[in-house]
Amino acid sequence: MGADEVWKFAPAYELPSWPFVAPPDLGARERRRYPVVIAGAGLAGLTLACDLALRGIAVVVLDEDDTVGVRGASSRGICYAQKSLELFDRLGIYERIREKGITWSVGRTFSGADEIYSFNLKDESFSEQPPFINLQQFYLEWFLVERIRELDPAAIRWKSKVVRVEHGGDGAVVEVETPAGAYALEAEWFVDATGANSRIRDELGLEAHPSRHTDRWCISDVRFKTPFAVERWTWIDAPFNEGRAVWQHLMADAVWRLDYQMDERADPESISRPEVAGARLREQLGPDVEFEFVWIGPYQYRDHLLDSFRVGRTIFVGDAAHVVCPFGARGGNNGIQDSGNLGWKLALVLQGHAGEALVDSYHHERHAAAVENLRVTSRTARFLAPRSAAEHRLRRAVVALARTHEFARRLANTGRMAQANAYPPSPWAPDGARSLQNVALDGTTVMRLLGDGTRFLGLWLGASREQAAALNDELALRWPLAVHAVAAAGALARHLGAAPGSFVLVRPDAYVAAQLASAAPDAIEAALRRALSLGATA
Amino acid sequence: MKTEPNIADPDGFYEAWVAAHDGLSEAESADLDARLVLLLANQVGEMKVLLDCIAAARAARG
Repeated sequence: MGADEVWKFAPAYELPSWPFVAPPDLGARERRRYPVVIAGAGLAGLTLACDLALRGIAVVVLDEDDTVGVRGASSRGICYAQKSLELFDRLGIYERIREKGITWSVGRTFSGADEIYSFNLKDESFSEQPPFINLQQFYLEWFLVERIRELDPAAIRWKSKVVRVEHGGDGAVVEVETPAGAYALEAEWFVDATGANSRIRDELGLEAHPSRHTDRWCISDVRFKTPFAVERWTWIDAPFNEGRAVWQHLMADAVWRLDYQMDERADPESISRPEVAGARLREQLGPDVEFEFVWIGPYQYRDHLLDSFRVGRTIFVGDAAHVVCPFGARGGNNGIQDSGNLGWKLALVLQGHAGEALVDSYHHERHAAAVENLRVTSRTARFLAPRSAAEHRLRRAVVALARTHEFARRLANTGRMAQANAYPPSPWAPDGARSLQNVALDGTTVMRLLGDGTRFLGLWLGASREQAAALNDELALRWPLAVHAVAAAGALARHLGAAPGSFVLVRPDAYVAAQLASAAPDAIEAALRRALSLGATA
Repeated sequence: MKTEPNIADPDGFYEAWVAAHDGLSEAESADLDARLVLLLANQVGEMKVLLDCIAAARAARG
């Protein structure tokens, strides 16, 4: 192969599209009012819609397009983390994700030709789901859309553009433009899931503190037949990329994502030309490997963080609320987790089981998670793009020692993979709240138990079935709660470090609301009252 | 952060430190010191002490 090599492109993905259907609101004499209206059918919006529909909440999604994906089949997110996969298990699409996607848990970091760091996330897992599955984002959105279409109280309205929102004290009035004309609907709760460039956010005049990074990258999604390991490989300074960073990751359909750090002064148009991208690949793969391009795309990253994720009855989820540098899969997964955090809260407030102030805990918890993700990803960005000769020197010291000294490997930072963020102490959870993995429990799992309605779980370690049933009879009539006996020394006890006799109160999003030393009904009820924003006399 | 003397043989340490830089260019010397800082930091481990040391080093500049 020489300079005259002809670069092959795979045929474009054929994405599904769904028809515009005239909604009953068009031409109706009175404005209709819906419990929840979501603008934007991306990962966060669709996850929330699916979650709410399964909780029996009538939800309307408005999307200006009629398909999934961003700019055709160009993939955005590719790595879905355990906490997201567990949520998708409850939503009923996990098996499709597992069959289509690439399950992995090992990551390796290289400097030049040498491996200097590796991790295996499986070592820390108690879950039924693996640490990560890679999948092109449009597939995930596709699965979500098809799942939502099976569910009765949800409707996705395609080709429906939100043109104006009037934010009021008891909800929002949303004006929508469609191919068949314009209409307005009312939302008790309005959710902005329209992404990083949200006009809804900007028109409210909210400060999102944007910043733009100068580091420049170019993605090549490529299909080729080479026995690469199904692992996450990263180079800090790849010899085949002029000493700059490279990412290598497998997605569905045998497509590899190769992401190259470029000279920050490089011209984005020229570095993404097929002959330039092809020459980079030849440098990496050698002369004999056949490949075809699926997609080439240059990008720079940026970040922003909204001060408040709730403004009255309007709530911001996903990229509309926060964007971080794309390291460690902390973008899409956190949009999904926003929705996992919000869905049950809106449902319980709408159903009258929780106080409206519970929705404030969405901001409290997910804003804190976004701050943490911003800090973690900014540190990675700084490691990957030293800004001065001195910074290059410090990084050189890390890399040099990492070759021979275990401790220095931990400083090589090519991304810290997304984990379920722990939430800080709050009025709703005085000890903070940490995530409970999808542990197997005597013939069932945490997620299967949580799939039944919108209820807390009371997991009582070492209790008999009869004891658990008696406590359940006492409490479940008054509270959204189901009590179960679990083994005193099983996986759950090891995962949480919980002692026999203790009582773990699990929220509907599989976070621990309280870990009590015993199953005293008074203490359980006090914890529930706090977790549901109900007054002391409720 | 300890500020009272803790090195048993200060002159011996200084001699070894200087000797480690023998024959190195300015850039190589700076690289060596960076590696040395990392190795010593791992001996200390405790974040509070490390941050105090960074602040003290910066304050003593010039």
